[in-house]
Amino acid sequence: MGSRRLVAILVGLIGLLVVAVVIVAVMVTGGGTGTTPAAETGPTGPTTGGGELRLIGSDPPTLDPAVSEDADSASYIVEIFSGLVTYEMAADGKMSIVPDLAEKWDLSADGRTYTFTLRAGARFHDGRPVTAQDFKYSMERAMKPATLSTTADTYLGDIVGAQQVLTGRATSAVGIEVADDRTLRLTIDAPKPFFLAKLTYPTAFVLDRTNVESGRTWTSRPNGTGPFKLIEWQLGQRIVLERNPNYYRGPVQLQRATFLLAAGASMTMFENNEIDVTGVSSFDIDRVTDPTNPLSKQLITCPGAALGCPQFDIFYVSFNTRTAPFDDPNVRKAFVRSVNVEQIANVVLRGLYVPAKGILPPGFPAYNSALKPLGFDPEAAKAALAASRYGSAAGLPRIVLTLPGGGATAPGSVEAILEQWRTNLGVDVQVQQVEFATFLSQLNRGAYGLFSLGWIADYIDPHDFLDILFYSQSNQNHPGYRNAELDGLLEQARTERDEATRIRLYQRAEQLIVDDAVWLPLWHTKQYVLVSQRVKGYRVPPFVIPSLKDVSVGR
Amino acid sequence: MSSALPAVEESKPPESARSRHTILRRLVRRPVAVVSLAVILVIYACGLLASVVAPYDYRAQNLEQTFQSPSLQHWLGTDRLGRDMLTRIIYGARTAAVVSILAVTLGTVLGVVLGGFAGYFGRWVDTLLMRVSDILFAFPGMLLMIMIAATLRPRVTAWAAALQDSLGFKGLVETGYIDYVVVFGAMSFIGWAGMARLVRGQLLSLREQPFVEAALVNGASAWWIIRRHLLPNAMPQILVSVSMGLGGAVAAEVVLSWLGIGVQPPTPSWGTMIAENQGMLRFYPRLLLTPALVVAVLYLAFNLFGDALNDALNPRSR
Amino acid sequence: MSGYILRRLLWAPFVLLVVSFVTFFLGLYGPGDPVEVRLGQRYEPELAERLRHELGLDRPVGQQYLEYVRKVVRGDLGESIKFRNRPVAELIFDRIGVSVQLGLVSMALSLAIGIPLGLIAAMHQGRWLDTAIVSTTLLPSAISVFVTIPVLFLVFVRTLKLLPAGGWGGIFDVHIILPAVTLALAGTAGVTRMMRASSLEVVGQDYVRTARAKGLPERLVVGRHILRNALIPMTTVVMLSLGSLVEGAFIVEGFYGVPGIGALALDSISSRDYPVLMAISLIVALSFVVANLAADVVYSVVDPRIRYR
Repeated sequence: MGSRRLVAILVGLIGLLVVAVVIVAVMVTGGGTGTTPAAETGPTGPTTGGGELRLIGSDPPTLDPAVSEDADSASYIVEIFSGLVTYEMAADGKMSIVPDLAEKWDLSADGRTYTFTLRAGARFHDGRPVTAQDFKYSMERAMKPATLSTTADTYLGDIVGAQQVLTGRATSAVGIEVADDRTLRLTIDAPKPFFLAKLTYPTAFVLDRTNVESGRTWTSRPNGTGPFKLIEWQLGQRIVLERNPNYYRGPVQLQRATFLLAAGASMTMFENNEIDVTGVSSFDIDRVTDPTNPLSKQLITCPGAALGCPQFDIFYVSFNTRTAPFDDPNVRKAFVRSVNVEQIANVVLRGLYVPAKGILPPGFPAYNSALKPLGFDPEAAKAALAASRYGSAAGLPRIVLTLPGGGATAPGSVEAILEQWRTNLGVDVQVQQVEFATFLSQLNRGAYGLFSLGWIADYIDPHDFLDILFYSQSNQNHPGYRNAELDGLLEQARTERDEATRIRLYQRAEQLIVDDAVWLPLWHTKQYVLVSQRVKGYRVPPFVIPSLKDVSVGR
Repeated sequence: MSSALPAVEESKPPESARSRHTILRRLVRRPVAVVSLAVILVIYACGLLASVVAPYDYRAQNLEQTFQSPSLQHWLGTDRLGRDMLTRIIYGARTAAVVSILAVTLGTVLGVVLGGFAGYFGRWVDTLLMRVSDILFAFPGMLLMIMIAATLRPRVTAWAAALQDSLGFKGLVETGYIDYVVVFGAMSFIGWAGMARLVRGQLLSLREQPFVEAALVNGASAWWIIRRHLLPNAMPQILVSVSMGLGGAVAAEVVLSWLGIGVQPPTPSWGTMIAENQGMLRFYPRLLLTPALVVAVLYLAFNLFGDALNDALNPRSR
Repeated sequence: MSGYILRRLLWAPFVLLVVSFVTFFLGLYGPGDPVEVRLGQRYEPELAERLRHELGLDRPVGQQYLEYVRKVVRGDLGESIKFRNRPVAELIFDRIGVSVQLGLVSMALSLAIGIPLGLIAAMHQGRWLDTAIVSTTLLPSAISVFVTIPVLFLVFVRTLKLLPAGGWGGIFDVHIILPAVTLALAGTAGVTRMMRASSLEVVGQDYVRTARAKGLPERLVVGRHILRNALIPMTTVVMLSLGSLVEGAFIVEGFYGVPGIGALALDSISSRDYPVLMAISLIVALSFVVANLAADVVYSVVDPRIRYR
């Protein structure tokens, strides 16, 4: 009997041992296999002045500039790659387009041809010089259908010949001309003043052909042109960028930036000195702004607001103007006027965001401080509903608000809005959450009658908000809004070369959109960022642009 | 997290029939059992009678009275939108009660029926059942439940909406009842196997008994045998399984709602309450701790009661 | 004995096939259409058609499934939807090691605490110590991670500043402590209960009474007879839990930022990254099946009666 037991225990122990060996083997090889494209640069920690910046980041879906369409990807892409021009933020917050890989450019008299002269010292990370051919290759690749870029049409589609490439009928665009190694000529189909701004977007960045064709996972070992190189990307754990010593504008100060992807509570990590930068949640904000708290000295201040850094974005609820019941403007007006956006922003969002009156954010060109919103007025809302073809809340069909997202709860602000519709208008609206990408694609087919979304500026021009989102034939016109008068204004503004007239046109367009209750504008966000005192030069721009260039971290 | 209806171990051969009274008496003598049962019953009763018991409308917001501390008007204070916490907890109990009862009932019925078939007809039917349940057990329970809830919910909701619209009545989708269907459907789909195995085990050992053979010879029908012998013998273990199952179902509902694939807002659920308040532990701990503690207490009660029941059924003396 | 094992061995691939079948179909009929997911905001019918063809989604379902199986056998688990062009296999295998390490440490903790407690509880069955132990171990697991995590965090990270707030550094790194302890809190209850139940079984046996009657000191009774025999069923329990190590505790991993399988599952649920979800299900099922098999084999070696059922 005893030996049998012994055998059993032995077997059990051996089993455990085997498993343990396997585990150890996995430990040694696994848990650490990421992609390490270039040679490791030795121990972590700053080796020269400029220091190392530690932040929290998210895994970017992609690092291919032609394919990326989200802010996470863009935030890394703009540091690793670059294009002809870029945005820079001055100390006073003013944004301007500055030369990047192109050292200068000329615009033809008819406003349609840009001639770019590339910098002499422009090189890829591996030292190879950047030529105009590389730009032609990159842009045409972005437009090629096989690349499956969803942004090429928007940002490069104005170039002559682009449509042919986009639809697969040609492999080369006539409007992209290589005059010589350092001269690139782009011709667009009409004198659109915002075209230059579009070139700041990643789709127009330059790529190294050899790098791209080296395999499907080339983005884990990119050969870019930006101020930083990607030296480590361990999925779910860490992304490390390191200074590019060959950067054509001179190597930047910051030696290294480490993004922790597997992060937990960022505020706590910041206070425990595990990271150098963090966002502040709405609950920590009171603590952080208290002048007696040392943290308050580390809060970044931005021009344009007493507290926080305003972003060029807008969050809103939109109506589908093509289907019942929101094809009736009275119903829309009823829904807009029954929500007290200011109260919700102040209470639920604790005053951290700026309630929106219109579409364009404050500080944006053509922003109209005199814009007249419809305003909160429950009586007027009920009257509008009564005047509609449904007559009352009971006559309305079932209404569902669709949100992108997959979290457990709808945001408090959404629940507050729903409740206000219920008490002020008597309408019981359901909410459903749909996964983000599915949501976006269904949107274009007009599947949702009522939905909520946000839009962040890609470049600084009212065209990016008003034309792209409301022009009747734009494929980003999710409400499906058709208004001939609006279209006329927008078309005119596209090619209007007098700045003041353009602004007036856009302001009239905005008022029209607001009057017709196409959206229920909610708020423009602000970012609240804490930065360790050792970090200098860190700023929070109003949208995604390269921002690590001027950073340095002392000891 | 374990799966909703935990597998019960292979049944022990039935000893001589135990009187139900002895079991009951043994149970009542243990204060733990009594207290936990009482807790369970109180919570479930409150939940099922929510519309009567709760002081406020669970959706009523009051943006001027957010984050209030407990007071006479709001015994548990208010949440981030000014809603009464006590009301939401009570309605959360309703969600938990409805979902768990439905899930366990469906799982038990399915399990008993299928297990009964397997045990009675034996051979290939039995093998089939065992294989199917093997496969079910091979699945990581929580993961499967999540996948089912995540993938089927929109379809079920859309189907219900279409049904509503075509038949011209409101209320199924609006009240969120349809969510219950998705959630408990997913749970019982996973949970029936344990019960089936249990019943089948009982039946198999029962078949060997001489008195069953005798009954069969005397022309007793299968149904009579099941009712007269199987059920009373299996009942105690079925009960234990049900008790544990309810506890597990409540826990699973909380996790599913926490992930966002359980009941949807504004239908209150302890899981969604936990999710929406977990960021505020530092500032308003009451909002997170209240639902979490209620869940904990209920789960504890189910476990303790199940344990007590188990001990009462299988007493072991030193 | 070999016949029994052989039968169990043949069963395993069949189970896997069914599992893959189920996950594949769930993924197919789920709400997220991979093409729509990829194209997102700039969805256009033309582009969609192209993508659909490229992904092979326009072929009949049966064919798609076969293709899927063929690829899996070769080790190709497909490409993630969220992380463009990244092989799923790469995503997963990076993380399995992490989850396993975390699981091992927490299991070791649970065993170290639960086994002695379970034994003690069994020795004092019915008395207050028994109830006390059962309730105390049950409490943390019942309270659910939703509370234990923030509380532990508040105490150890925020207030005492003893432990780091997030991230991962491998099995011998301080980052593993909080997640492992959190998981162990829940696991201890199960271990205690099992140990208690199995000890109770042993205690009732004749040979224990005999040993006592012989005048053996209690210490030896417990150590030589009860403990050893009660531990035997525990080995199967351990083997079975080893199988679930790979599953990863997703809530714990997600909160503490542990880059394991659980966190990946959580993420792919919310981003509807079906290839990843399906692959995870497959891998976890595989480990369950293997663990089950191992447990069955060990048990049949240990308790020959099983073989003759």
